[in-house]
Amino acid sequence: MANKVLLIEDDDATAEFVARGLTEEGFVVDRAANGRDGLFHATDGSYDCIVLDRMLPGIDGMGVLAAVRAAGIETPVIVLSALGAADDRIHGLTHGADDYLTKPFAFVELLARIRLLIRRGGATKAVETVLRCGDLEMDLLARRTRRAGKAIDLQPREFRLLEFMLRHVDQVVTRTMLLEGVWDYHFDPGTNVIDVHLSRLRKKVDEGFDRPLLHTVRGAGYRLGLEP
Amino acid sequence: MFRSATFRFAALVFLLQLVSAAALIVTIGIAVRRQLQTDAQRTVAVLRDDLRASYAAGGAAGVRREVALRTGQLVTPGTVLLLVDRDGKRVGGNLDAWPPSVTRDGHAKDVTLYRIGLNTAEPMHVEATRLPGGERLLVGTIVAGEVRAMRMLEQVSGVALPLALIFAALAAWIAARTIVNRLEEPLAALNAVAAGDLGARVPADGSRDALATLGVAINGALERVETLMGELRMATDGLAHDLKSPLTRMRVVLERAAGQVNDPAATESLDRAMAEADRLFALVQTALSITRAEAGIGREHFTAIDLAAELEGIAEMYAPLAEDQGRGLSVTAESIEPVTVHRELLAQALGNIIDNSLKYGAGPIALALTLLEGEVALTIADRGPGIPAARYDDALRRFGRLDDARQGGGAGLGLSLAAAVARLHGGGLVLSDAGPGLIVTITLPLP
Repeated sequence: MANKVLLIEDDDATAEFVARGLTEEGFVVDRAANGRDGLFHATDGSYDCIVLDRMLPGIDGMGVLAAVRAAGIETPVIVLSALGAADDRIHGLTHGADDYLTKPFAFVELLARIRLLIRRGGATKAVETVLRCGDLEMDLLARRTRRAGKAIDLQPREFRLLEFMLRHVDQVVTRTMLLEGVWDYHFDPGTNVIDVHLSRLRKKVDEGFDRPLLHTVRGAGYRLGLEP
Repeated sequence: MFRSATFRFAALVFLLQLVSAAALIVTIGIAVRRQLQTDAQRTVAVLRDDLRASYAAGGAAGVRREVALRTGQLVTPGTVLLLVDRDGKRVGGNLDAWPPSVTRDGHAKDVTLYRIGLNTAEPMHVEATRLPGGERLLVGTIVAGEVRAMRMLEQVSGVALPLALIFAALAAWIAARTIVNRLEEPLAALNAVAAGDLGARVPADGSRDALATLGVAINGALERVETLMGELRMATDGLAHDLKSPLTRMRVVLERAAGQVNDPAATESLDRAMAEADRLFALVQTALSITRAEAGIGREHFTAIDLAAELEGIAEMYAPLAEDQGRGLSVTAESIEPVTVHRELLAQALGNIIDNSLKYGAGPIALALTLLEGEVALTIADRGPGIPAARYDDALRRFGRLDDARQGGGAGLGLSLAAAVARLHGGGLVLSDAGPGLIVTITLPLP
């Protein structure tokens, strides 16, 4: 059963590439070119995720979002925006958006976030106190991390970084997602700040083990998982 | 500035009031004196002409008769007469002797003399005249009343001047008060706008005077400012949108192409093109952030945060990079009450400054938070080559590159963004020399 995505985007070129990319990744994509059609499609309620452009002809995407939520539709929504100041992001997230991505975005970034939302929107899991990936396990209550029974000593920030990766096992996590999820910042920190933190974490998690768990995904970000 | 202007205005009012009062008193004095003198002269002239006429009619004897008559019972009050013969011997009149101070004929003088039969000297206006037969005649009129009037006038002036002084001070005070009170509202409105409240206006007071007109004019200007700010915001957002959509398409195309080619050289080229697109985007984004911060946009997103913790967080974020360069990154923070700031922008500003030091500075980086009088100072100092004082302005300018040949990849926006963010908070950014090294100080005002 393929996941269905509704794309509400007025820019034909962007819409076409995004739709084609998502189709290749196995999604079923419907596209609406304006807010009214978007709202009409959205009220079907049969979508797993809605990708909504904030600047639509004649209407602010936030208005469409408000109407969608007013119609009682709980489908996760990612807002695409060219406004892109941190303020607009905050505004979007406090007005019913589940995630917020500014143009220009990398397709992998959008893909990673859609997958994340669809999984989150699925069956609500019991609150986990232990996160696992292969022989790596993190006890959230005891604040302890072990791999193959051996304790790994992590700094508080490294702990939160690894926790974030463990919550998204086998998913591509982008640098922006890490910056937002672990540091709660939404600006470009300049140099390769995130990469340096990740490479330190990798040293602690993977060094001395045959099987690396923390993988770099070229042009996208990072993935924690058994498969390279 | 405003105070001294008000004071100058009040002083001017005071002086003008005083000068006009003094001028009034002096003018009245002069006019009265003139009038009294003219009256005395005319009285004397009429008397003289009468006596000369009686000489022409009755000769020396006629004049003697006339003098005796006018100083006898047919008295014009205040008449002074003295007739002497060719040798200066007294012939008639009501003076004892010819006053020695009156010499020339046809010459008028004010003197004080005793009239015969009176035991007080009186002020009088006299004139000497020579009759055709060689006799001399002194004709005059008593001016005691006039002198009293003048003295009275002087006394009144002595009282009036202090009064005028009091009234002038009162007028000055009222004028200053009026100006200050009436300017308070326009000033408050202008200060509010300067502080970022673009909706502030001067309340209309219903009067139609110059200050009310000024208020209307100020409101017009403020209206324009607000409109322009709104347009600027729309323009920047529009520009962002117009630039970002093509950039997004470009990125998507490049990404898809990268997924379809297997030639490593082509892949590398595509990666480089994507990195350039990202850099271009970041540049546009930062330039827009500066514009928005300069325009005071974002104040509605201020939140009260623990600045010390925020500084620690930023330091912690960049610490591994500093460590990789073999440089320390320390934080010294006083614990203070939460400060209301734009957390995201302030963090970005601090990040930019630290990033600059990592790229162009050297030695340990020291972050500090110090509580000063009414403000908080955030300092970022290193021990690198620093920036020559003459080039501070260039360093803070948008796209200001200190080293044209430098291979930093930055567009020279970091420091100007930090300065714009400081100004958004109502504070400022100052560069100084650590000898060696650069100190960047961001000051944020405390409420």
